Amino acid sequence: MNTKRLTLFILLALGALFLSACSGQPLVNTWPGLATDGERAYVSSGSFIYAVDVQTGREVWRYPAEADSKQLFFATPVLTEDGQLLIGSEGSNHAFVSLDAETGKENWSAPFTGAKGKWVAPPLVFGDTIYAPNTDGFLYILNMNGREIADPVELGGALWSAPVTDGTLIYITSLDHQVHILNLTTLTFVDSIDLGGAAPGSPTVGAGGVFVGSFASAIEFITPNGGHEVIAQTDHWVWGAPVLDGETLYFADLGYADVGGKVYSLDLATNRQNWDNVRPDGPIVASPLIVDEQIYIVTENGAFLALDRDGRIVWEKTPGGKIYTAPVLSGEFLLVAPYQAEFALAAYDLDGKQAWTFTPQK
Amino acid sequence: MWQTIIIQPMTNLLLWIYDILGHGPHMFGLAIILFTILIKLITWPLNASQVKGAQAMQELQNDKEWQDIQKKYAKDKEKLAQEQMRIYKDRGINPFASCLPTLVQFPIIIGLYQSITRALSATPLDMLQLARTIYPFQNVENIIPLNSKFLWMNLGQPESIQVLGFALPTLAIIVALTTWIQTKLTMPTSSNPNDQSAQMSKMMSIYMPFLLGWFALNFASGISVYFIVSNVLGVVQYAATGRANWSNLFGSKSAPATNKKK
Repeated sequence: MNTKRLTLFILLALGALFLSACSGQPLVNTWPGLATDGERAYVSSGSFIYAVDVQTGREVWRYPAEADSKQLFFATPVLTEDGQLLIGSEGSNHAFVSLDAETGKENWSAPFTGAKGKWVAPPLVFGDTIYAPNTDGFLYILNMNGREIADPVELGGALWSAPVTDGTLIYITSLDHQVHILNLTTLTFVDSIDLGGAAPGSPTVGAGGVFVGSFASAIEFITPNGGHEVIAQTDHWVWGAPVLDGETLYFADLGYADVGGKVYSLDLATNRQNWDNVRPDGPIVASPLIVDEQIYIVTENGAFLALDRDGRIVWEKTPGGKIYTAPVLSGEFLLVAPYQAEFALAAYDLDGKQAWTFTPQK
Repeated sequence: MWQTIIIQPMTNLLLWIYDILGHGPHMFGLAIILFTILIKLITWPLNASQVKGAQAMQELQNDKEWQDIQKKYAKDKEKLAQEQMRIYKDRGINPFASCLPTLVQFPIIIGLYQSITRALSATPLDMLQLARTIYPFQNVENIIPLNSKFLWMNLGQPESIQVLGFALPTLAIIVALTTWIQTKLTMPTSSNPNDQSAQMSKMMSIYMPFLLGWFALNFASGISVYFIVSNVLGVVQYAATGRANWSNLFGSKSAPATNKKK
């Protein structure tokens, strides 16, 4: 073979190998976001956000009409009282958009593009203000028309989770191991607490403070004045926000690929675990969902299961794919949005019977 | 298998070095540099055999039998190739030995790229994969997420510096330049226009700087740091063995340094 051709062939082959290995990640580079208003489910999955009729499982609208390589949607969409659906793009355009939840049309004259990073976290909406955390480490303050109404608050570290509020303070976790407490009105810092590990999940408001899990393999309780204590140790990292139901706090750890995550039920009155060793099949990222007397858990191995209050499995399903997105209750259905499955959304009744699946048309 | 053999050890090694360095700003860049030095030390015997192979190829060009067959079979390429292969075989020379270290670099580059992307975890899925990658005995929750800043760069992003309103890809330029220097220094000199290995090396010296420069331009700058350190160490290794062919660098037709030394 001609030497030039041989050399060129080797280089092209190596280049192709390198490119396929480096850019071989699918366009959908993380798991979907899911929200519902009881009639429709809103799924953010890659290039599109889909509105799906909860009764029929049919697509009502999608945004945008055509895929745009600069836009990727994975954050959990947030519905506001005035019918807006808020979501930021994880794509290179860094756009934060407001859609009409009814029609899927853009509400604002232009998306907010003032952030330097991607939008992984859902925003907090309180009153007429949007508090939008970005991976650039800033919390952006917008009005309901998408205009900045205050300087962004620099928190440091990538912000991946929705802030929460008790009506007076904002609590927001950061990947730089901190929980920041801000005054809701003045946006001044009240305190920052070091958790000893990254906190990709939101805090949970309750018991006069917030509960938060972290990669330090612990659940901490934080008071409004910055007091904090570890109330539970876990076997592995905690990703999803804990869920408070009465006097009981439910949470799960990520676990290892071979042993799976562990589900915890902590009685806050006695500070004792209600059960000992509940380990569904697979690591757990998502927060549990509590409906009536059942606790619904999803796992990376694709398990979707219902536990009773004693930690016994009531039923278990495997819809397909990996499940990292927290399930939601919409009317009479439990909705599950798997990652890398044949469908984007599945609906189950409370007895675990599948009602429908939704696969977006290409 | 790729995960177990390449990605997992590389990522854990990078995290371990980063942790030892104190996991502050700029330390992940330093971790990549130390990692590169380690890789160079591990592949030292391979590089040494490449130097030896290149040397043998250079000496072959002045060999009478070699020159004779070039003349004798100048018009019969097939026969010439057969005769060349016979001589290679008789003298235990691998004509592609000079390409081997470059080929070996590619799995390392790909693995390093994926390890850097994973270690810096730009998305929740990356972070989850990182959690899967960490060996159970590694205690790294206090160092995650890693600080991606190194000098003026974000190691997880392609690099450029704003100069007069233009984004100047300085690292890509340095990568291309150091690759060109290294290839030129290690290229065997041949006066024979039909010498295939010399032709291949020459083509490599043209294409490789562009290829790696293009990678540096488009991928995470952590890879560029690896390229530059690797190239500089390669030059140092050659220079230390006294075989660096400085004449190639400046376009001189004079004999290579090794021959002079002899």
